[in-house]
Amino acid sequence: MGVSELDESSLLLDEKLLRFMDQLELLEEKRVTLNSLIEQGWFSLSKARYSMGNKQVSALQYASEIEPLVCIHARTQDSGEVEFCTEKVTGCQESGKDVRSIEDIGPQEVGVRKRNKPKKHITEKEANDKASSEKVPEVSPLKKSDLNPQQDPLKWFGILVPHSLKQAQLSFKQVIELSAEIATLQTSVLNTRQELKNGMKDKYNLQDKALGAQLDKVAD
Amino acid sequence: MAGRGKLIAVIGDEDTCTGFLLGGIGELNKNRKPNFLVVEKDTNINCGIFLARIDIGIILINQFIAEMIRHAIDAHMQSIPAVLEIPSKEHPYDASKDSILRRAKGMFSADDFR
Repeated sequence: MGVSELDESSLLLDEKLLRFMDQLELLEEKRVTLNSLIEQGWFSLSKARYSMGNKQVSALQYASEIEPLVCIHARTQDSGEVEFCTEKVTGCQESGKDVRSIEDIGPQEVGVRKRNKPKKHITEKEANDKASSEKVPEVSPLKKSDLNPQQDPLKWFGILVPHSLKQAQLSFKQVIELSAEIATLQTSVLNTRQELKNGMKDKYNLQDKALGAQLDKVAD
Repeated sequence: MAGRGKLIAVIGDEDTCTGFLLGGIGELNKNRKPNFLVVEKDTNINCGIFLARIDIGIILINQFIAEMIRHAIDAHMQSIPAVLEIPSKEHPYDASKDSILRRAKGMFSADDFR
């Protein structure tokens, strides 16, 4: 009975060890990809700095108000592992408000204004039409807020930025996605390691018990 | 904040921070506290400010900076925020220094067989 339990725990340990090794291998692969992507990003940044000027790509260009375009969601699973996944932040309510307030400053009427139009010609129908035409432009600023150009960090460095800076941005975007995957893998590696440790302790306890039982038999 | 998810923080040299901010992870919150730290020669590194923030999910840190505050990183045992060591321009990534891989390697040390 004791021996079969010992065999079972050994098999379980073997399975966990194999899983642990697989996770480490995958982690190493992803690390290599991450490192090469970061290097690629730096290379593109250096190229952009070369074409724009030494001081044009630095911390001095960071905007005074920065809002994230990417966020991550952390889901804790039953096994205790944490899964990280990235998500793009599409629209922000605060920036939407700002854009609308700027739009309000501009002209409210869409068509050409007739300054000398006598008041008596304005009928109720026209007044309704005017009201409806005024309602239309209120919708468009909300759409614009989704594509707020101030949000793109590329614009911090100028309007016409070199292609290499765009390439750098692309590389770092990929790095961000990959880093979430690596963070997930890291937590699962640590989790499996803990499981292995516990499994080993259990196995040693079983071995001690089995050895004690054998010694008792010999003594009898 | 809770609705839109957690942030990614960066502690690194200028180019690393610039790159990741280009990628869109940067934030300056209402208290004007950033989620990034550009480390220069005389910068006082305190990763505790990011480790204590509940709105941060992952901390990316240059490995050479992580080496300076290794005690704090080794003492951090929670899964969130996850700490990821990344290479820097002048210091390539060394897996033997990575805190996670060192812990994993510790699996096969004599202490674990006791």
